[in-house]
Amino acid sequence: MMNKKNFVLGIILFGILLINFTLVSAQVSYCCEKIKDGGPWCMNAPENECDDSYRSVPTSCEATSYCRLGTCIDTQEGTCMENTPQVTCNVEDGGFWEEGNADELPQCQLGCCLIGDQAAFVTQTRCKTLSSLYGLETNYRTDIQSEMQCIASASPGVKGACVFEREYQKTCKLLTKQECQEMEISSGYSNVKFHEGYLCSAVELATNCGPRGGTTCVEGKDEVYFLDTCGNLANVYDSNKINDATYWTYIAGVGGVTICNPASTTCGNCDYFSGTTCKEVLGKHVCEDLSCEYEGKDYQHGETWCAKAKGIKDNLPGSRYFRMVCYNGEVSVEPCADYRQEVCIQSEVNTFRTAACRVNMWQDCYAQDNAKDCTNEDKRDCKVIEGFSILTDENGVSLFLDEDGETADNSCVPLHNPGFDFWEEGGDAESLCSLGTTMCIIDYEAGIFKTLGGKRGKIVPNEECVDACKDRGGEKDDCEDECTAKCVDEDGNLLDSWEEEMNEMCVSLGDCGSSLNYIGKEGYYDTNDFIVMSSEEEDEEN
Amino acid sequence: MKKGVSKKNKKGQVTIFIILAIMVVVMGILIYLYYPQIATTLGLAPQSPQSFIQSCIEEEIENHIEKLSLQGGSLHPSHYIMYDNQKVEYLCYTNEFYKTCVMQQPLLKEHIESEIEKEISDNAKDCFDSLEENYKRRGYTVNLRRGEINVELLPKRIITTFDYPLTLTKGGAEKYDSFRVVLNNNLYELVSITNSILNLEARYGDAETTIYMNYYHDLKVEKKKQSDGTTIYILTDRNNENKFQFASRSLAWPPGYGI
Repeated sequence: MMNKKNFVLGIILFGILLINFTLVSAQVSYCCEKIKDGGPWCMNAPENECDDSYRSVPTSCEATSYCRLGTCIDTQEGTCMENTPQVTCNVEDGGFWEEGNADELPQCQLGCCLIGDQAAFVTQTRCKTLSSLYGLETNYRTDIQSEMQCIASASPGVKGACVFEREYQKTCKLLTKQECQEMEISSGYSNVKFHEGYLCSAVELATNCGPRGGTTCVEGKDEVYFLDTCGNLANVYDSNKINDATYWTYIAGVGGVTICNPASTTCGNCDYFSGTTCKEVLGKHVCEDLSCEYEGKDYQHGETWCAKAKGIKDNLPGSRYFRMVCYNGEVSVEPCADYRQEVCIQSEVNTFRTAACRVNMWQDCYAQDNAKDCTNEDKRDCKVIEGFSILTDENGVSLFLDEDGETADNSCVPLHNPGFDFWEEGGDAESLCSLGTTMCIIDYEAGIFKTLGGKRGKIVPNEECVDACKDRGGEKDDCEDECTAKCVDEDGNLLDSWEEEMNEMCVSLGDCGSSLNYIGKEGYYDTNDFIVMSSEEEDEEN
Repeated sequence: MKKGVSKKNKKGQVTIFIILAIMVVVMGILIYLYYPQIATTLGLAPQSPQSFIQSCIEEEIENHIEKLSLQGGSLHPSHYIMYDNQKVEYLCYTNEFYKTCVMQQPLLKEHIESEIEKEISDNAKDCFDSLEENYKRRGYTVNLRRGEINVELLPKRIITTFDYPLTLTKGGAEKYDSFRVVLNNNLYELVSITNSILNLEARYGDAETTIYMNYYHDLKVEKKKQSDGTTIYILTDRNNENKFQFASRSLAWPPGYGI
């Protein structure tokens, strides 16, 4: 039978956070412009942590002029940095501080900056900076308001064969029309003529550039390209078209020339998002496979998945969630927040796995008094366990309502039990784990058994409990059954099943109870260490 | 028999001497004809002041850049976390739980430029001293005015300009207004991505790494969350293994409720 005990604990659970914040805010009362010993700028901290050479006032940083957060605009670069205190945004370095978020500031509004054949979704100042840095003309479009749309609108200029005479030789460069015109002016080459859509290897242009000059990878592009004998780019590599005159005459998309299917093994049309890119391997340019192999399994390039980390299946002390990432043939490990404050979630669409670390919303599980709220996945990560109630009234009666709205000896506990720093003094592991403390009162009726066998007597229902139960309108048999200790057998021996059930409940609260840690090592205590047997009779005798 | 052998030996020695003499003469002629090229190849030619400075200070600048790139943009981090035996500076930080971070270095590019400028001033002094001495030894009158050092992070390169006007006089006069050391490095690009990540950290308390790897195919972004709520970001250019790493502590979660 459950003791009347956790009533206060359950009810004030919400208060724990409140008390915490109150305690913290009572302690952290100063806004330090700078923390001592080269510490960070603008932190709320106790006065003794503030650097004396800087300002500090007994208020929150948001209320001060020097540490109020706003946006720092880099007037040279045109970048906007949010959550910046005024003091760190130096005017001498080109900084300009404005109150508010970047979204609210006209200087930080983003638009599409088209530079050459590239695009960037940046501020207007940044666009001008990039323009001067790359020495290219820009087109800043405020009508494009999404990054994807901006990138999609980047279009390379129409290219073609720029034919000219140099040292009495008719030669060629693959350029845009504008580049060709600029070359004519700047280089002084004679007979410069632009042939849109033509490759320099086109026979009819009669230049000294011919087909089959090899292959190459191009920076910023994924495909393998043919080169002509002058070193100009031609179309995407296709082993079936090495001797195709048309393929060496027109740029793909012109004159019926098409590029091969990326899936073909004879094709150089590599695609990063499909998992291949151009790489030079032993002097040859090939579509390199970017997929990964990890622990005997194949993963596609760009896939992310949750690791099967040690002890994570049972959320053992010390265990942690990890996300694995496969990019460019390499697997990297991203740990989620420690103490299982983040969990890894994974989904799969058409065999492509995607995973993410997301916050473990366990904090208010213990305070839920009904199954519906407890299992509301939008609000929290909790589950209902049976056999014990954290929330009880002053009589020890459960306050938890099951799915049918009936009172049940159930509790709402974290779905992924969190980790605690139980080895640290002053942590809240003890207070949280104590939610699982329970007492099982066994009433014995003295009689012949005691005299004969030396036993305590026959186990009977607790009278007070039965009376209270009857007062609530319970039937006699039901009340007696409810009020009879369930932690022992008929002979008064502690049941292993009860012990296990209670320990499971403790473990489900967090890093509580008795369990192995994530590497299989035993903890400080065994379950038996948690069980304290006491007897009123013995106490009286003593 | 012995006499005969001795005569032969003498004749052989004379022949060897003649061959050696011819070789010396030929080499002399070759050196006379091609001395500038040979000297340059062997590094014996007098360097121009520009290349003298470039070779003198280039490696130092490279070392400073490499060091500060692993330390979050500071050569002497003051507020840092130890990661992989490196002091990694916090660029965005909060000492509280459940709160997003406060930007510590909003003008990161400018900060890095000034860090390099400060650090190379001593190296610059040594290099220009040595340049002066070198030319004086060769009979030049050297007039060097030491001005400012300016470091610029630009796309794909870092340019260090020494505004140190120099006049060398020996018969005629050679004038140099300034000296530029250009390094091929994409720190500018890595800093731009860092700023973007920091804005996400400041706003949401986290940043998704794969977004950047989808945009920049040669970029590797790693995120290593530490037990105290700190996140270390490591940006690596896959082409040249250039790295930039920094720390952020934002929206940290305590063990338990954090009482």
